[in-house]
Amino acid sequence: MKIPGVSRTLSVLATLFGISIFVFLVLRVIPGDSITGAFGIETGALTPGQIAELRVYYGIDQSLLLQYISWIHSFLSGKLGFAYSTGVSVATLTKSSLPVTIELAIIGTVLGVVLGIAIGMFSAKKPGSSRDFAGQLFGLLALAIPGFVLSTGIVTVMANKFHYFPNGYEYMTPWENPWMNFQQMMFPGLVLGIAVAAPVMRTTRSALLETVDKDFVRTAHGKGVPNNKVQFRHVLRNSLIPIVTMTGIQFGYLLGGAVIVEKIFALPGMGRQILDAIMKREYATVQSSIMVFAIMFVLINVATDVIYRKIDPRIKK
Amino acid sequence: MKISQRRIRGLVAIASSVAVITGSLIAIAPAQAATKDLTIGLTLDIDKLDPQGATSFATVRALGLVYGSLVEVGPKLDIRGGLAQSWGFNASGTELRLHLRKNVKFQDGSTFDAEDVKASLERILDPATKAAARANILTIKSIEASGLDVTLNLTIPNVAILAALDGVNMAMLSSDDIKAGTIGKTVNGTGPFKYVSWEPGQSVKLASNATYWGGKPKLDTITFRIIPTEASILSALNAGTIQFSVITSPLVAKQAGSNLKLYKTPGLAYVALQLNAKVAPFDKLGVRLAIQCAVSRAEVVKTASSGEGKVIGPITSPAYASDPTARPCPEVDLVKAKKYLTDAGYPNGLTIKTMVAPTQFATASGTAQSLKSQLAKAGITLEIDAVDDSTFVSRWLAGDFGSSVANNGGRIDPDTMYTRYFTSTGNLNKVAGYSSATLDANFAKGKSSGRVSDRKAAYTAISKELEDNAVWVWLFSPFEYRITTKNVTGFIPLATGSLIELRKADLK
Repeated sequence: MKIPGVSRTLSVLATLFGISIFVFLVLRVIPGDSITGAFGIETGALTPGQIAELRVYYGIDQSLLLQYISWIHSFLSGKLGFAYSTGVSVATLTKSSLPVTIELAIIGTVLGVVLGIAIGMFSAKKPGSSRDFAGQLFGLLALAIPGFVLSTGIVTVMANKFHYFPNGYEYMTPWENPWMNFQQMMFPGLVLGIAVAAPVMRTTRSALLETVDKDFVRTAHGKGVPNNKVQFRHVLRNSLIPIVTMTGIQFGYLLGGAVIVEKIFALPGMGRQILDAIMKREYATVQSSIMVFAIMFVLINVATDVIYRKIDPRIKK
Repeated sequence: MKISQRRIRGLVAIASSVAVITGSLIAIAPAQAATKDLTIGLTLDIDKLDPQGATSFATVRALGLVYGSLVEVGPKLDIRGGLAQSWGFNASGTELRLHLRKNVKFQDGSTFDAEDVKASLERILDPATKAAARANILTIKSIEASGLDVTLNLTIPNVAILAALDGVNMAMLSSDDIKAGTIGKTVNGTGPFKYVSWEPGQSVKLASNATYWGGKPKLDTITFRIIPTEASILSALNAGTIQFSVITSPLVAKQAGSNLKLYKTPGLAYVALQLNAKVAPFDKLGVRLAIQCAVSRAEVVKTASSGEGKVIGPITSPAYASDPTARPCPEVDLVKAKKYLTDAGYPNGLTIKTMVAPTQFATASGTAQSLKSQLAKAGITLEIDAVDDSTFVSRWLAGDFGSSVANNGGRIDPDTMYTRYFTSTGNLNKVAGYSSATLDANFAKGKSSGRVSDRKAAYTAISKELEDNAVWVWLFSPFEYRITTKNVTGFIPLATGSLIELRKADLK
């Protein structure tokens, strides 16, 4: 008898296991280690005895298998490992950085979906018209302009012309200071939102154009249903599957894309945490942070599946 | 045209939203508090709280305000009193006697004395500490401490050790803290500011030390805010959300407008094309000399560093600085370069590889590109091997490169600057790729003589040997940039990169 969800859960666990092995090994293959990461060129001043002591301290004197088991044990226990440069557990670092990245990704996704669907509908209403051209031009520009260019441009213009750069102040969480948090998140969210809006807009446009010619749409028009109602309740609703798919994929990309935006807008999120840890060769921090991202990606996929079933009950079957 | 009430309501709602957002953009900056709080933008976070083990610039700069050292380097690169008020060597240069300043307190209220100096120096010398500056004071044989007097007995004549006592890596710690094993966990220095907190990845906070021996600083607090890009730091300065910054990129520094103050100081660090004479084809003197003759340093400064920087020879320590024109090819000489190549067995030119870490310093990629285009004119094809910082350090330390573009720190004394690279027993000799008996002898001479003229002669000879053998191609010394808002006054920039003079700064 087939138990629902078991094969899916097993495949998810196998994927996460594969990612953990891959990340663990890649970090060991690239030159440098925690000692050169921490001491830089001063590693050259260390005696062989000091280096041996440091290898024990950083746990890199053990075999790869033991290092892997030690890290996985720490990960599963919830501590996620130890960040030597800050003297706290990776869980402590992640507790403060993960909400920043999730908030940023949510803002980016919401803005991107709203903008993308709106412009997609605007374009699809009269294909080949000037409004369609304008919509497609937006999509093209949004895809073509890299996030770091847009971010740098916004930061420079706002700071030089309006003397406005709230991200220079200490980062505030929404519950510490919601107004400051809004200001600090507004522009980075917009940059990510534009990046999401482009593919969502293109997907929306083609899905709508495909649906608009379907019989049930013609029937709805024939029955005298008002046009707006037809567009939203019949056309858009029946075009949502590819849009949701694209949104799910983009949310996953946003987690990675946030690295540059977090850097330029000085947001203490997961992207920066991973980047700094790679530079310092803080193995546990990189491995655990990437695993957290991988788990989130899996959860987003599950959420996308749930949304599919809500949108189209036939998928349950 | 008739506009419906519904549409009017919609337009009003949109207009109100736009007005609220626009208004908020213009009037969002929180008012400055009455206290004098200085925020400094740094691209990197600190990575430890033990000053003697500090190696990153961020850690050195932040902890340099909290801890004190026996001597300090002044604005004119002179050695002046820090926690030691006076000092003197015996005639043979094997004994350094230091007299300490009176009434110096640690931030926990305990008194600083000779026992703290002894314990601090012994901690640096202890291999278990892994202190960054241990190699600079290895000639200390024993330390005598009594009240406010300290005597360092040295294994060999070494007047250069005085300059080695400066800096955060030579921080004086409380002997009680050392005994209790709390160094690196709690912060207790003698500096002008007290440590308050560190939020990893975000900020480090300091407060003024009312019992500082030089008087209470005018600034009440200093916050180091981590803003990972220099362009964003400049934006934060323009917006007034931070008031002070340390910038390395000449491009960013040049964008500082008239609303800001720019301090530009010639630094001690230098950018060089390091040639590894132990790896072919750099083991051939002709190849190294050809490279040297094919490179215009002024052109590198112009193209890679936006014209910002000073062409230098090997030694940048001002009292012993090398003459940049005293080298085989002070200007580009392609004919000579090609002759050197032909004599070395490469009449048709050759291809070489250079390792560079683009994120290691602001002009790294530009320098490599400039060298590539210049060397091409002499028939030398330069392939750029771009790697990340940690990979660079790892391969650099192992001598696993033919050539590399590096930005190395300088010191006010050539002994601490180069002994570790160019003496046969130096711990970075594998990186330097070159040593000789004459270099060893001249370094020993420079270290032991108390007379400046003797020392100058020794370091001039060292410089000549390094240049005549094209050991490396020394290019230029970048400037040190500090940018502040106009209301920051009284700050004096130092070529060492130290921010200690914030003890005299004020916010108007």
